[in-house]
Amino acid sequence: MRRLRGWLKRLAGTWDRDRRDAELAAELESHVQMHIDEKVRAGMTPERARRDALLRLGGIEQTKEAYRRQRSLPFLDALLQDLRFAVRTLAIRPGFPAIAILTLALGIGATTAVFSVVDRVLFRSLPYPQDERLVSFGVKAPFEGMEFMLAPEYAVLRGQNVPFESMTSLTPGGSDCDITEQNPVRLRCAVVESTFLSTFRIHPVLGRDFVREDNNPGSPQVALLSYGLWKSRFAGDPNITGKVLSVNGKPVQIVGVLPGTFEMPNLAPVDMLLPQVWDQAALDRNNPRVVLRAFARLKPSVTINQATAGLQPWFQDSLRFVPPQFRAEVSLRIRSLRDRQIEDSRVGAWVLFGAVLAVLLLACTNVANLLLVRTAGRQRELAVRAALGATRARLARQTLTESLLLALLGGIAGCGLAYALLQMFVSIAPEGIVRLRQASLDFRVLIFCFAVSLISGLLFGVAPALSKPAAESLAGRNTSATARGIFRHALVAGQVAASVILLTGAGLLLRSLWKIQNVPTGLEAQHVVTTQITLAEHRYPEMTQQLAFFEQVETRLSRIPGVEMVGLSDTLPPSGGEQATFYASIEVPGRPRLAEGTGGMVGWRMVTPNYFPALGIKVIRGRFFTEQDRAPTENPVILSESLAERMFPKEDPLGKMLRFQTLEHQGPWRTVIGIVANVKNNGLISNSDPEFYVPWKNDPEGYVGRAFVIFRTSLNTATIVPWARAEIGGVDPTVPVEFATMGARVGKLSDRPRFNAVLLCLFAGMGVGLAALGWYGVVSFFVSQRTQEIGVRMALGATPQGVLKMVLFDVARWTAAGATLGLIGAWFCTRLLRSLLFEVEAHDPLLLGGALLTLVVVAFLAAWIPARRAAAVDPMVALRYE
Amino acid sequence: MGEKADVWQGTLALMVLKTLESMGPLHGYGIARRIEQISGDLLTVNYGTLYPALLKLEQDGFIESEWGVSDNNRRAKFYKLTRAGGKQVQRETQEWEQTQAILAKFLGVRGEES
Repeated sequence: MRRLRGWLKRLAGTWDRDRRDAELAAELESHVQMHIDEKVRAGMTPERARRDALLRLGGIEQTKEAYRRQRSLPFLDALLQDLRFAVRTLAIRPGFPAIAILTLALGIGATTAVFSVVDRVLFRSLPYPQDERLVSFGVKAPFEGMEFMLAPEYAVLRGQNVPFESMTSLTPGGSDCDITEQNPVRLRCAVVESTFLSTFRIHPVLGRDFVREDNNPGSPQVALLSYGLWKSRFAGDPNITGKVLSVNGKPVQIVGVLPGTFEMPNLAPVDMLLPQVWDQAALDRNNPRVVLRAFARLKPSVTINQATAGLQPWFQDSLRFVPPQFRAEVSLRIRSLRDRQIEDSRVGAWVLFGAVLAVLLLACTNVANLLLVRTAGRQRELAVRAALGATRARLARQTLTESLLLALLGGIAGCGLAYALLQMFVSIAPEGIVRLRQASLDFRVLIFCFAVSLISGLLFGVAPALSKPAAESLAGRNTSATARGIFRHALVAGQVAASVILLTGAGLLLRSLWKIQNVPTGLEAQHVVTTQITLAEHRYPEMTQQLAFFEQVETRLSRIPGVEMVGLSDTLPPSGGEQATFYASIEVPGRPRLAEGTGGMVGWRMVTPNYFPALGIKVIRGRFFTEQDRAPTENPVILSESLAERMFPKEDPLGKMLRFQTLEHQGPWRTVIGIVANVKNNGLISNSDPEFYVPWKNDPEGYVGRAFVIFRTSLNTATIVPWARAEIGGVDPTVPVEFATMGARVGKLSDRPRFNAVLLCLFAGMGVGLAALGWYGVVSFFVSQRTQEIGVRMALGATPQGVLKMVLFDVARWTAAGATLGLIGAWFCTRLLRSLLFEVEAHDPLLLGGALLTLVVVAFLAAWIPARRAAAVDPMVALRYE
Repeated sequence: MGEKADVWQGTLALMVLKTLESMGPLHGYGIARRIEQISGDLLTVNYGTLYPALLKLEQDGFIESEWGVSDNNRRAKFYKLTRAGGKQVQRETQEWEQTQAILAKFLGVRGEES
């Protein structure tokens, strides 16, 4: 306690030193006077008395020094002194600190912004306790990207000894549900097993979790509310549990409220959780109908590999129910929940992280270089201070203080920049980058930011601090320029290398983006407006009602002047999601079935006759559907070019018969009446599947509660959309309608590559800029150090061109070395980008060459300015430099 | 002056506190002179080390200072004991006596053996 008090007093003693100094001086003066008075009284002469007093005091200045040391904290004192000195020296030539702080801010800002994004994706734990034990498991089949489970198989597994502490499932799709009482509203509901919350170890903030009985058919319907819905619709009513709501026209009792931080494992937005209800029919292994997404919590210390091995017996058993020819293409997959969530973001996140680390490295080497150059320039000053008695430790501390000061200032500026960059990322980011919208500069990230700046400050502060000023420096000659010159050059060569890698990567992504944006979609997207309409099940329970709704919409829209073509379809290219079947399940009369395997996927859509002209899909042979084809008795089919080529390679496909099987039932025999051009149907990047079209008819093959309305118009979108909305509202005002132009829909698909490319270009730009700055600094210094030598050379007959050549040759040598290194690095690094590229070779020689050329040009430009200065040296001035 | 001993490190603080306890408020020079007198001029105080020691005692809260006027009309800074300082004198006195007693016994034992 006393110690602390004393320490605080000393801390306080650091301030207000002038007043304290004056007081001490007065006290000592009075001491000396009293001493003199006494001695004089004893008979001494005043002069001798004064001398005696000073002797006994041990010197006024020495006493003051000892007193000051006790008064404040000597360490802090020295630090403040160093800081004041650092600020003064930096302020004399603001150019150097400005460049250094800017460089650091760029490096730290970019790193921090990217780290806050990447942190959420790659490192931050998911919002579930012990999230590392959570897995997603199921069967991986060619027609579905994510692993899934069939309800009967899941039920079998549930009765077995599994490597899971608990397992649960949710029913995918069908997320819309409506509260059907006063103020009807459409909600996003998720249908889950009763073990759902307990597996993720989430506890309701109010009420109870689901219990096993809630899954039983016939038990009263219950629901859990999301925190948001509870707050917004029910004003956080604490007595909400037990209340009965009308959902989709049926009574549902609220049993609890989810915590505010709750998040679905598939990241889908959710307002309400409902329990699954399976009847006996759903559990029939021979006729599986219900598809599930399954999740589990691994038993402690069970690895994913062990769990996979543990599930093998069950998996082998369930294969019995898979048609034999498909078995080879089905596999068991267990992966961590995080892996499932970030599937596509992972590579992108790592690439960003790598790129930004490279930028940080560039920034740090630049500042290190600048400081090295500066220390070399201050050799003389340091030597003088050493000669005046400063210890090496004291000098080192001074240098370190200066670099740490720079690092801190850079760090602060960097945090500001990071904030701005993060705002930019979020605003230009496409949909679907996991958790990007939640990314923020939080405490952890700020700590990271300052740690980076401090470490960089220490790193580049230590090197110059350790160098001992040589006595020769007093003479103003530079003795050690050559040895550290090599180090400096090597640093810049390293920057060149890193920049080559960044540039190559950015170039690759840009070219890839260009290719993606110009990929032929097979559609004419201009002047096409689309909307997706989902009919609420409780309002349109019967398929005939659904069909009637869409038919009315079709007629009403066609009446609008300026609307040229109106088409309907169940799905819309070029994004995926169309209905699909196996190639092997398509039968052609008189032809054996495919002997083995699924033959891959074939997509199909249900479309009205005007679908093709509305989207600008070209007919290659035969004809489009006509209104007559919509009659219940007609069964025509139109093939895509790729499907026709595959099924009827050497024959005329027109008039051929075929039929196909869906999960549900065997379709009728159909006649091929036309071949249309291929359309991108799996997104812009992936290969398209072959597909066929069947007419939108009065006896539908599938569900038509959700469909796309497509129309081509000569008017601009802003004019036509309100009309179209009014017409659809005329059919049913409660149906929500959102319009989007086809161009916007297609453009959205290249958002992700654009985001990656923009960011990498930004970083590559920073990298090149930093490398240029590096060369400029090094060459400037080199020239100023060798002014004398250049003067001698010129006095002996060297021409300015010769001098220019000499300087530039030096730059060329090191740039070449760095570029070679960069090429090798790029060769390896761009491989990592491969999965992000589209129709671009990772080792594109043109791009590598381009990156190289850019770097060489930039290096020469950066070196040119100081090199010109060297060539303009006046020999007489240079020789007098000493 | 050669046979005079310097004040040992660490004991100066106790001497200052004890002096202030017995004499009341006193200025730096007065404290130094008083210590020398009490020791019968056997001790000589290094005046230079006195002031940092006073400062430390003040920082620790054992003494307080105030400017005032001395007997012969000189402005001087007067130090006086605080309540905490009074306790500190007792504590340190005890400790010192203990140390002394132990040392005395120790020396006594050695004397018997030789």
